[in-house]
Amino acid sequence: MDVQNTASFSSIATLSVIQMRNVSASYDSKSFVLKNVSMNVERGTNYAIVGASGSGKSTLLKLMNGMMIPSDGVVLYNYQKPDLKNKQYKKSISKIGYIPQTLGLVKNSSVLDNVMIGGLPRLNSINSFFKNFPKEEIQHAHDILKLVGLHEKSNRKVHMLSGGEKRRVAIARALMQNPDILLADEIVSELDAVTAREIMTVIRDAQKKFNLTAIMIHHDMNLALEYANRVAVIKDGDKVLELGVEGEKIIDFQTGDMTKKEIWEMYNEPKK
Amino acid sequence: MNPKNNLLIGAIIAVVVVMSYDVGVDPIAFAEGLPNLGIVLKEMTEFESEHWGTAFWAMLETIEMAFIGTILGVVISLPLSIFAARNISSKYVYAPLRALLAATRTFPSILWAILFVIVVGLGPFAGILAITLYTIGFISKLQYESIEAIDYDPVEATTAIGLSKLQLIRYVIIPESAPHLLSQILYMFDYNVRQTSILGIVGAGGIGFYIINYIKFFEYGKAAVFMLVVLITVLVIDWVSVKIRDKYIMKAQHGQQVKVKTN
Ligand SMILES: Nc1ncnc2c1ncn2[C@@H]1O[C@H](COP(=O)(O)OP(=O)(O)O)[C@@H](O)[C@H]1O
Ligand SMILES: [Mg+2]
Repeated sequence: MDVQNTASFSSIATLSVIQMRNVSASYDSKSFVLKNVSMNVERGTNYAIVGASGSGKSTLLKLMNGMMIPSDGVVLYNYQKPDLKNKQYKKSISKIGYIPQTLGLVKNSSVLDNVMIGGLPRLNSINSFFKNFPKEEIQHAHDILKLVGLHEKSNRKVHMLSGGEKRRVAIARALMQNPDILLADEIVSELDAVTAREIMTVIRDAQKKFNLTAIMIHHDMNLALEYANRVAVIKDGDKVLELGVEGEKIIDFQTGDMTKKEIWEMYNEPKK
Repeated sequence: MNPKNNLLIGAIIAVVVVMSYDVGVDPIAFAEGLPNLGIVLKEMTEFESEHWGTAFWAMLETIEMAFIGTILGVVISLPLSIFAARNISSKYVYAPLRALLAATRTFPSILWAILFVIVVGLGPFAGILAITLYTIGFISKLQYESIEAIDYDPVEATTAIGLSKLQLIRYVIIPESAPHLLSQILYMFDYNVRQTSILGIVGAGGIGFYIINYIKFFEYGKAAVFMLVVLITVLVIDWVSVKIRDKYIMKAQHGQQVKVKTN
């Protein structure tokens, strides 16, 4: 039940930010973590990837930002193959806002210093070594901190923040990259329902403000249906389903229309 | 206690006995010599208090030497430790550098002091060089080990953002490995004060010069004054570094504070 060509879903030709064609990936060149996956993410989409743990979701994101090279198939970011040896491409990775599952914050640094990291690739290496930042970059960081609601804590060390606040820092660092795409790996999975929704709202506001394409991995199908307009379901390294969401209506590319509730019942794993 | 453990303990005791015999450990000589210690101790209590002033200035010189040596050593260690860290540098850089650093740690600083006395002549400067070299060997090792032990997640995340190597070192490696540095510097300074106290034995400056000479000429009362000054200084430094550690380091590391037993 593979859905190979989802681009045809949209009748209007729009620009793709991420394209994957028949991609397979492996960590040990013996067993495949992803098998023959194709995916097309158009500009402005709010794309969600859902699946059980170990199904290959994180691997999918690492292929998108070039941290991993597919063993087979093609990955394109803005119609370019991720290749860190290519200078042109290397410049463009700084525009892929990436928030890993572990967040990857520098715990002993302040909130502001962590956010500034997002802007470093566009700054001169020597000046940035002495923390000699242009005024407008510092202002930009403060504006972003205001947007994510952490402005009062900009001098706080990251290890002193709550789980929700740490996620706001990671979002701010990604926004500081001036990204055209935001990749977030299970950013709300470990949060309680209220905080998770707060964080999702922060991302939704940022997305509107900066015209971002977002690709977010979720553990919770309900959350994906609530915030995304496209949902891909990954199972054992295979994309088994891709849905379009428009309000209460859900378009399944194979079975036709279903309601959110039916989909939710089909794919929401019972809590273990 | 199971039989296996008993066997092991028995074996260790046997090895110690055999080795002691080999190197000439002689309990009888120790027992016969004990009265001599009594004489020394008795003479030591006959303080010659007009020497307090000299002892104080000699100790100050010792502390100055240790301080300069520690600071110089740490400053040189910081870039070296980055080049010596296996997770940052290339094999062709870290392997020879680590061998060199290991070599500086192989010999106690007093041997380096002898070498530097030959190079720059008698006096505190030779001692400072010896302490600096020893500090480089030690702090570099402690630092490259803490660099190698840092959390890999921020390194991976910031590499994906596209930081240059210099930026990675400045914004991730240094902040993540630095919290241990203050503690290491305190420890090293403490250790260096003790070491510098004996460097005078080979003519490399500091209070040890007086101690060794008074002992040589059986002037135990005078030696005792100088030794007491060393003891008090080391205790004070130890106490101060515990205070600094509690106040700054524990807080810096993940926001906890040490609970000190007060009863
Ligand atoms: N660095 C790695 N080395 C080897 N195997 C890995 C590595 N990362 C993930 N895997 C394996 O790949 C599979 C998919 O992992 P992942 O993409 O992290 O799944 P998910 O994010 O959906 O939980 C799992 O079976 C996991 O054990
Ligand atoms: Mg994952």
